[in-house]
Amino acid sequence: MKINMAVFFGCRSVEHEVSIISAVQAMKSVNREKYNVLPVYVAKNGTSYTGDALFDIESYKDMPSLLKTLHPVTLLRENDRVVMRYLDNGFFKKNDDVAVDVCFPIVHGTNCEDGTMAGFFEYLGVPYISCDIISAAVGMDKKVFKDVLKAHNLPVLDCICFTAKEYRADSDAILDKLKREIGFPLIVKPVNLGSSVGISKVKEENALASAIDLGLSFADKILVEKAVNSLREINCSVLGTPDNCEASVLEEPVMSDDILSFGDKYLGGGKQKSGGSKGMASLSRKVPADLPDEKTKEIQDLSVKIFKALGCSGVVRIDYLLNNDTGEVFANEINTIPGSLAFYLWRESGVDYPELIDRLVDTAFYRQRKRDNLTFVYESNILESANLGGSKGQKGGKL
Amino acid sequence: MEFELLLSLILLSLSAVFSLYRQFQMLQQNSYFAARYFKWIKGSFAVRTVVLAILFFAASFLLAAKIHIPLLILSALLFVTRIIICITVAKKSIKPLKFTGRVKRLFAASVLTLCLLAVLFGVFERSLAGEICYTLLLMFAILTPLLALFSKLICSPIEKAFNLYYINDAKKILRGMKNLTVVGVTGSYGKTTTKFILNRILSEKYNTVCTPGSFNTTLGVVRTVREMLKPQTQIFVCEMGAKQKGDIKEICDIVKPKCGIITSVGEQHLETFKSVDNVFNTKFELCDSIEKNGGVCFVNLDSPGIAERIGKKPFATPIGENTDYFVSDIKSGPLGSSFILHIKDTEISLKTKLLGRHSIADICAAAVCAFYLGVDEIDIKSAVAALTPTEHRLELKPYYNGSTLLDDAYNSNPEGCIEALRVLGSFEGMNKTVITPGLIELGSREYEANYNLGLACAEHADTIILVGKKYSAPIKEAVEKSDFDKSRLIEADSFKQALGVFLKYADKSSVLLIENDLPDNYLK
Repeated sequence: MKINMAVFFGCRSVEHEVSIISAVQAMKSVNREKYNVLPVYVAKNGTSYTGDALFDIESYKDMPSLLKTLHPVTLLRENDRVVMRYLDNGFFKKNDDVAVDVCFPIVHGTNCEDGTMAGFFEYLGVPYISCDIISAAVGMDKKVFKDVLKAHNLPVLDCICFTAKEYRADSDAILDKLKREIGFPLIVKPVNLGSSVGISKVKEENALASAIDLGLSFADKILVEKAVNSLREINCSVLGTPDNCEASVLEEPVMSDDILSFGDKYLGGGKQKSGGSKGMASLSRKVPADLPDEKTKEIQDLSVKIFKALGCSGVVRIDYLLNNDTGEVFANEINTIPGSLAFYLWRESGVDYPELIDRLVDTAFYRQRKRDNLTFVYESNILESANLGGSKGQKGGKL
Repeated sequence: MEFELLLSLILLSLSAVFSLYRQFQMLQQNSYFAARYFKWIKGSFAVRTVVLAILFFAASFLLAAKIHIPLLILSALLFVTRIIICITVAKKSIKPLKFTGRVKRLFAASVLTLCLLAVLFGVFERSLAGEICYTLLLMFAILTPLLALFSKLICSPIEKAFNLYYINDAKKILRGMKNLTVVGVTGSYGKTTTKFILNRILSEKYNTVCTPGSFNTTLGVVRTVREMLKPQTQIFVCEMGAKQKGDIKEICDIVKPKCGIITSVGEQHLETFKSVDNVFNTKFELCDSIEKNGGVCFVNLDSPGIAERIGKKPFATPIGENTDYFVSDIKSGPLGSSFILHIKDTEISLKTKLLGRHSIADICAAAVCAFYLGVDEIDIKSAVAALTPTEHRLELKPYYNGSTLLDDAYNSNPEGCIEALRVLGSFEGMNKTVITPGLIELGSREYEANYNLGLACAEHADTIILVGKKYSAPIKEAVEKSDFDKSRLIEADSFKQALGVFLKYADKSSVLLIENDLPDNYLK
């Protein structure tokens, strides 16, 4: 018997295409002896599809003809099991329900990576590979992420946060506050997006307003923090569960601009001319990062602490800002479903891609077992014994 | 055929269908063993059977003499009575009839039999064949136990075919799971608890499935394999029950266990086993099977039934005092227990909410087995601390009006019952009540076991409520001989009535122990 693994990707997110690249890569690396992969592609309009064409990256180039070959599907729970049901079953053409043993969301960004998808799987009660609702949601909101880390005495940069409404009501006051309290150069980011979308580094006053406008076109809330001098970006991946996790080797992305842009990360930018379909794996980077051993150890320990503080599960990538002059390290953001699942970091840590997936599946079943061992539903109906005394309408009787 | 006659036959046949509810319920509760079912008929329905026999002869006479109006009245009366009885039984039973596929097939066979006889009677009305048909029809319709057994007989080839298909399907599923380890758990007492504890500990590390509830027959195991095993399952914990020789071997031949636990060998089901030696040999069929499959079978040497005969089975790995695996420093109280588990040179100190020494023995066996299967010390510790009692097995629950319930309804082990009373006794300063109908199925030792239970009740409880008279007489005798306050010994006709007595005075300072609450066929 093979384990039926439903791989979810796409979704209503600005990182739709990035997710496709990560998912196709992962599906290629799954050990087919052990797993039966059911691709579930969530189109930009939110409809879910399955079909064999989804395994091939080439087929995504012509989306209309791809969609024609696919079948709309949905997941539902029926009699203690979760199945994928085809929605285009006709009288003569009928595809049977497929039991789903584990769900694997390889999705990035809002409406999916932010705990939405985790919530859907929790609702169904199916084991799934990724952070749970709370850790995913905290990881998505950069402000809440900073607040949680601060509460755990973990290092983050101070920031100022405001909503679109607050900004539009009195933009001068906010711009003034930013100048006074943070000063230039500073970084403007939408509070809840990954993959560097909508992020700008502002070196002087006259560029600030347009940077904020750009940010507000992606999110309702903007976060502004000081740009670190003599900056090095360092990333570290963590794999496992809060009860048992480990950190990978570190990477240092090579920046073409001052900050890593969406183009650098996913559109084949950087120095490698290897085509645009390799995702995070194709980015120019140094793995392992060129850092002294104790700094490496410090960042790895910090990563494990952050993973536990948020209660993460599966594989995450935590991005740090390192001030090369002072040696200060600040946690910048967490990707609860990192691009390419950070497999390139685990490969360097001695875990190849199929093994990485095996270990991820284990985390999903581990969490499910822990949940199964807790009581959520009382098997017996407590109301049944309420009448045993035969005294109808008795007041104050406690069970 | 005249209208009255036709109506009479239809009413009689319909009344038979309603009457079958009770018959099939009892057949089901007696695991479809004809002999045990007969014993129930003989034991509790002698008077009713005689009445039915008289009715049968009366009806035969009326029909033969062609006196149809009284026959119609008789049929109508029987019809109404049986509907009322059927509804009452269905509502009040502790274990109502479960409409399984098998029961549905039995009903179908009965209805078909009655219809066929009625049609044949119509066709051969005036001949000898017709007379035989109506005699049979009346016999089956009035004496429904015969109809129940007849239906069981004609269904048996179909049942066998179904079972064989299910068994082969289960074998195929198990063969397809190369990485699956099967752990068998059997024993006269404690196997269900041990199974759940083992499953809980193993689930810290592995994807496990165990047989649900007290599913432990071949078909229960087969159903678990077909419905609950998942592709990711790494360990299947399989409870194996036996009522006769060969039962355990039959299950082992399907699931091929690589590891196992035998919790105890005692006097349960002596009515079918005849001797404790037979019980021992049957339980150790698990050990034999594991020896063939190359694994380890842990057996509890603290169980006298095993200790006396262990020499016969050198392959078994003993657990208990004076072995490599044992517990020491046991401390227990109303809140739970703590003890140290020794596994060769490893010492693990454990805490649990479970009560009673038998629970600690179960934890010990399960933990030793889990350790052997690769679960770490820390995981064993945390799993044991998180254990909750199995439902109805000395389960501590908040109850009516702030009182405390010690629910031990599934216990049927004499030593276990006395231990449960000892636990009740440990609730110092509280008003302690026990409700029990007594112990059953212990053959020649039934009297002694119930007498000892009575002594324990008198020693540890403040109020004793006995349910029914059949099995509780020796308890009463023992209590009356002790210096127990006779006014606090109460007899009740039903479990509900007994509970009503307690509920009248239940408050924050009262604790109620429900000991071995039996299915309907044993009460009275």
